[in-house]
Amino acid sequence: MSEGDEDMTDFNLKTGKTLGIYAFSLGALYLIVGLLEVLGGYGESIPGDLFGGLALVVVATTYLSGVKGTLNGDYKGLSLLMGGLFLSAVFGILYLLMLGADGLMYLLGEAEEIPGLVDFRPAIWFFILSLPLIHHIRNMTQKTTW
Amino acid sequence: MNEFSGDKAEIILAERRYKAITDILESTVNKTDENAWTYTDLFDHVFLHKFLGIPIFLALFWATFQFTFVLSEPFMVIIEMIFGWLGSLAEAGIGNPHLASFVSGGIIDGLGSVLVFVPPIFTLFLALSILEDSGYLARAAFVMDRIMYKLGLHGRSFIPLMMGFGCTVPAIMATRSMDNESDRLITILVNPLITCGARLPVYVLIAGVVFGAGQAGTAIFSLYIMSIALTIIMAFTFRKTLLKGKPSPFILELPAYMVPTAKTVVLHMWERGKVFLKRAGTIIFGTVIIIWFLSMHPWAATAGGELVGNSYIASLGHYIEPLFAPFGWDWMAAVALVFGFLAKEVVVATYGILLGVGEEAVGASLIKLGLFTPLTGYAFMAFVMIYVPCIATIGIISKETNSYKWPIFVTVYLTALAFLIAGLIIGVGRLLGFS
Repeated sequence: MSEGDEDMTDFNLKTGKTLGIYAFSLGALYLIVGLLEVLGGYGESIPGDLFGGLALVVVATTYLSGVKGTLNGDYKGLSLLMGGLFLSAVFGILYLLMLGADGLMYLLGEAEEIPGLVDFRPAIWFFILSLPLIHHIRNMTQKTTW
Repeated sequence: MNEFSGDKAEIILAERRYKAITDILESTVNKTDENAWTYTDLFDHVFLHKFLGIPIFLALFWATFQFTFVLSEPFMVIIEMIFGWLGSLAEAGIGNPHLASFVSGGIIDGLGSVLVFVPPIFTLFLALSILEDSGYLARAAFVMDRIMYKLGLHGRSFIPLMMGFGCTVPAIMATRSMDNESDRLITILVNPLITCGARLPVYVLIAGVVFGAGQAGTAIFSLYIMSIALTIIMAFTFRKTLLKGKPSPFILELPAYMVPTAKTVVLHMWERGKVFLKRAGTIIFGTVIIIWFLSMHPWAATAGGELVGNSYIASLGHYIEPLFAPFGWDWMAAVALVFGFLAKEVVVATYGILLGVGEEAVGASLIKLGLFTPLTGYAFMAFVMIYVPCIATIGIISKETNSYKWPIFVTVYLTALAFLIAGLIIGVGRLLGFS
């Protein structure tokens, strides 16, 4: 596959700039929160979690690696952005399921409190933030085959 | 052919075969867009990335264990409740104390303490099936091959090793696809180091007790990483000593990515998970009855099972306890490890019977009795991960290598390695101030 000559989507220099800025913002957020989790947490909403934090740093690195390419309208950049979105979805859904499990534990009488908004891990919020990007790229790559 | 070209014959044949395929495709298929990137191209650029490939694999692997541990917890509670209810029903409904003890303390507590781990085992297999059916697992093999080849493992070893996370027996049988004898033998020798599903109940119980629900998933993840690291180290050692030479080249066709269907994912999960249920109904059930008998008798001396310390099993435990005492493990742990040779799940069942409590209270009893600290508990889990594989694995190694030498070798080296690693964990931990 040669660079820059792929045209099955409306991905180009113009759309690439918007996507690149979005990816950079998400990557920066993941990086800050991931590092905070690795370093022991910050307040109630960002708990200390070494491996969880490292996982967020991996998501951040994937996004940030794709920013330059995406800004240049390069498909290699777009692929890294899509990889980041995939990981965002994996971790967002994972923490949502964990929240559901906590709720079930409450119903079974094994937990004292029902989980609330404060128990939403940052990865859930970031996943929600990435949904518009997922939607946009999904529309953009509609003609793409597996 | 090897002498003429300097390349391996299989590489030349594979190249020719793919060239023929490309020629046929070029002359028969009309492409609408020659340069179009497919989803497979886009995702492969990320998942097979030179630098990001391995961190992404580790992150997804960690997510798999978080998913397994946390999601299965409420379902474990439900099973505990059912067995707890059955136990009290048996105690209240059976008049004969001997029979009541057998049904309640032996069958229900013993078997229940194993069956309670059906949810984490099935959840783990569900996650692995999703990864496999999506096409990612083949990429993981490709990414890991770079490291594995350098360390003396054949890339094709990855599939049997991944199967080892389910059950070591079919994983060892899967090495039949490897044509190079020394590659195959190395894969067989290190496969028991991959932590199989049967060991998961032990991890879930002990990690839950010593690290609490919040950190248990991470502790289990670290054990799986240790398992992979030891597998690679031992493969490297065998390659440099017993089975010298270079691994043969790895040719792997990567399937296109796809969204897994619920039906195939559930089917694959069931195929892997039913092995556990089958074992629970056969070898585990039989062993549980033997352990119950040994822990309740002599009936008079144990006052009908009230004083387990006077039982046959306690005598056996005290006899072998000195072997494990330096690690801070008592006679119950010694007995659990001995019976764990039959099937690893039995380690948990043994605690269920010896503590004389229902499966819902095994963890709480371990905490109450203070049998494990985080350090000794972690060393115990590492020991269970490494030491002598179950009897079925020993049998299949003997069958697949057509010898008694290799199963004996595996038993000896793994037991020695288990003592070494557990000793290192305890030693380093104590140096760092842990008790």
